[in-house]
Amino acid sequence: MSTHYISEAPFDPHSVEQLTPEQEKLYLASQWQLMWLKLKQHRLAVGSSAVLIVIYLLALFCEFLSPYNLHARHTDYIFAPPQRVHVLHEGEFVGPFVYGYSYQLNMENLKREYTPDTQNIQKLRFFCRGDGYKFWGLFETDVHFVCPASDGYLFLFGTDRLGRDMYSRILHGARISLTIGLIGIALSFILGIVIGGIAGYYGGIVDNIIQRLIEILRSFPELPLWMALSATLPVTWSPILVFFGITLILALLDWTGLARAVRSKLLSLREEDYCTAAQLMGAKPKRIIGRHLLPGFMSHLIASASLSIPGMILGETALSFLGLGLRPPITSWGVLLNEAQNINVVALYPWLMLPVVPVIIVILAFNFLGDGLRDAADPYK
Amino acid sequence: MKFTALTAAFLLIAQVVLANSEHESPFLIQAVQSGDLPPMSERLPENPRIMQTSKNGLTSGKYGGVLRMLMGKEKDIRRMVVFGYSRLVGFNLNLELTADILESYEIREGREFVFHLRKGHRWSDGQPFTSNDFRFYWEDVANNDDLFPFGPPKTFRVEGELPIVEYPDEWTVVYRWSRPNPHFLIELASPRPLFIYMPRHYLESFHPRYADRENLDEQAKSRGSRNWSGYFLKKARQYRLTNPELPSLQPWVNTTSPPAERYVFKRNPYFHRVDENRLQLPYIDQVQINIVSSSLIPAKTGAGESDLQGHYLRLDNFTFLKEGEQRNDYDVLLWKTLNGSHKALYPNLNSRDEEWRKLVRDVRFRRALSLAVNRHEINQVIYYGLANESGNTVLPESVFYEDEMQTWARYDPEQSNALLDSIGLRARNKRGLRLMPDGRPLEVIIHTAGESTEETDILELMHDSLLKVGIKIYTKPSQREVFRERIFSGDVMMSVWTGLENAMPTSGFSPDELAPTSQNQYQWPRWGQYHETSGKVGEKPDLPSARRLYDLYLTWSETTDVQQKQEIWREMLHIHTDEVFNIGIVNAVPQPIVVNGRLRNIPIEGLYAWFPTSYFGIYSPDTFWFDE
Repeated sequence: MSTHYISEAPFDPHSVEQLTPEQEKLYLASQWQLMWLKLKQHRLAVGSSAVLIVIYLLALFCEFLSPYNLHARHTDYIFAPPQRVHVLHEGEFVGPFVYGYSYQLNMENLKREYTPDTQNIQKLRFFCRGDGYKFWGLFETDVHFVCPASDGYLFLFGTDRLGRDMYSRILHGARISLTIGLIGIALSFILGIVIGGIAGYYGGIVDNIIQRLIEILRSFPELPLWMALSATLPVTWSPILVFFGITLILALLDWTGLARAVRSKLLSLREEDYCTAAQLMGAKPKRIIGRHLLPGFMSHLIASASLSIPGMILGETALSFLGLGLRPPITSWGVLLNEAQNINVVALYPWLMLPVVPVIIVILAFNFLGDGLRDAADPYK
Repeated sequence: MKFTALTAAFLLIAQVVLANSEHESPFLIQAVQSGDLPPMSERLPENPRIMQTSKNGLTSGKYGGVLRMLMGKEKDIRRMVVFGYSRLVGFNLNLELTADILESYEIREGREFVFHLRKGHRWSDGQPFTSNDFRFYWEDVANNDDLFPFGPPKTFRVEGELPIVEYPDEWTVVYRWSRPNPHFLIELASPRPLFIYMPRHYLESFHPRYADRENLDEQAKSRGSRNWSGYFLKKARQYRLTNPELPSLQPWVNTTSPPAERYVFKRNPYFHRVDENRLQLPYIDQVQINIVSSSLIPAKTGAGESDLQGHYLRLDNFTFLKEGEQRNDYDVLLWKTLNGSHKALYPNLNSRDEEWRKLVRDVRFRRALSLAVNRHEINQVIYYGLANESGNTVLPESVFYEDEMQTWARYDPEQSNALLDSIGLRARNKRGLRLMPDGRPLEVIIHTAGESTEETDILELMHDSLLKVGIKIYTKPSQREVFRERIFSGDVMMSVWTGLENAMPTSGFSPDELAPTSQNQYQWPRWGQYHETSGKVGEKPDLPSARRLYDLYLTWSETTDVQQKQEIWREMLHIHTDEVFNIGIVNAVPQPIVVNGRLRNIPIEGLYAWFPTSYFGIYSPDTFWFDE
């Protein structure tokens, strides 16, 4: 009687091919975890998202971080050039400070001339009291991160024609510039996915109608349309509401490209076996599209979203630059650039063009991040 | 032998021709020599107008050159009529009326005007300019029901009565009313003159009295006009200059038909002015107007692309322009502007908002507004402290100026607050804003034409000082046409526009700006409209002070007594000071003028204004010339 040997040890399916804990994590990871792992490897994207987070935080806390309020004027310091922050005065450590300006109006050419006065040391204060503001519309406070010396001034990026601090204005402008476009993007995204999804999933006559509608919408010339719209929007609306209206209308025209992409992708994906399986199991179209089909081309969606955010930001800047978008006293980067749009600035006060720098940084960061996200959304490639 | 004789003969002829054309501009010599153009002696009137250049501290020049100017809109080519300043009668440097196109004129009792034309004066195409051209305008144009459905322009009416016009001979025209018409000559001398003559020989062929009407209507339709009258008016635009074929009496004549980016104006070979050496003016052969985006004009001017530029330059361009002075060989001059206020606030007394209307019709409210404006700050920030802080009134140099005119143009927030309290606007909301009687916070939306940041800057500066007295202002920029329409319809509470056009008046100037006489007076558009339409549209002024102004204006028009006219001017200015119908800020703001370093005869100090100086007009650009 021979006994049949049975190992008492539990069966290990991975005994042949031992997985390291890392591999295990990868194989068992959900799609979102995979994307995150992949994204982390894209250094540029990680750096960019860090930059974006910092910038959005700056925009969020702009009242606290800027030394002055948006409309605070210093009429004795009109067109003052940027001040440099020093730490050492004549070789001695005094902590961060700026030299005060001595001002003189050159009567020969009416130039406002500022020279740093090295005897006038103005030490910066931190977590100090300055202009009052209402933080997020919640409570009144007057605490700022950095303030000038109590009887001094601090113009890190210089001042404009009314003596307003450019640094504070750029920070405040970020809030409008970085947020208003997102709403438009979100709206055009929803519209694009829903309408494109319906067209692609059902096909046939529904598809046909939607396609013709898209063609009509795409054939509108944009610039005259904006001009007409900015003229017809109710005059009682505040400038920011008008601009919000314009973004909405932009979004209502903008979804067509995305809808087409969604539709063509769906047309091919709906023929896949897993889709038929879901149908046979009795899933509703909404679930099939949202749960089974959309993840299949998430990478495309993410890429086009992250690429159209900078498009919206640039669009705001361009519209404001043309005088169609936001107008003072609303302050955005486009408005600031619009005000810098004259020969005096180029020749005499170049620091007024500084808002260009954050625009470039944000656009680049969004593009790099989009690039990283697109790679990450297709983790198996 | 034969050859030398021929050469000699040729030389002789050449010498004769040259001797004849000694004073001829090189620009025209060829045409004269080839016989296309008669020599100068035949082109000038028998008795040309001699410009006393040396008497006015100017120099006698020489022919030649191209004057380049920049303009922001195509329709700005009409400025050439303003600059050219060829008028039947025009203002001289002392702002007195003098005959220009006319050889002389007589006025009898202020109601009869006898015009003597220059014998032999010709249009720019060489056809004689005679009383026939006046007859044509009066009989066939101004009194033609199709062209002027409401009858001749308002200036011709003295209390509804039209003049009797007579043409005793080819060189004389008489206009006669039964009552004085003090506006007539001033209209003829204004920057946009009343053209009471038209080139009959040219326009006849477009007029049904002289040509077949059906044919004309057909022609009109094929050119995009509805009927002959539209076509005729299109051809006859003496101010807008859009028809290069239209003969002219201006120093330079347009040769480019719109649309174009560069307009070339060539010298009028029949121009009626000469200098002391009997050189026919203008000295400069051509004027080139380049149309560029208005925001680029300061930059292009600074790069030396304009030889004479005032339009589209502002005081804040001065520093930049000054930097290019050496490099591009030009001079930047600072001329004085003549507005009563460079920018002024116009509270709309005809607003549709009833509560607001009640408020602004209270003189205490308007005074309080004026007292709450910190003019000194605005002057320092925007005008380098070079302007004159003042209400919207005459300049200190004016004969009518009195210090009391600044009574309400001080900065006195305390008194302002006290005045507002006394009206009964004591209640305030949480933000410290005063409440109107119906409970709304006192938030004032101020409309601007949105053409420059200057206006929004002023308002932003004003915002803070007005907040101190419990009034919050919002700025609403729109486009000029929209801006006007909304003021006319009463939707606007308050607007910003320039102040009085002429702040250096004499009693001979019409005080129409001070009385409700025009829809374009943004403090009372509907009252002005009432006058303009002779009571058909608009409202009758129902504020006693405005009625008084209107009565005074009518009295001024009727009287010929200089003393009385002065009294009227004084009283009207006093009423304005007292009533603060508009809120002036600063006046006498310097205007930068860029002049090519080689261009002569432009005064270093001048007055830059639409009326009465017609910008460069009274300084006679035809006497400007280019030095080597």
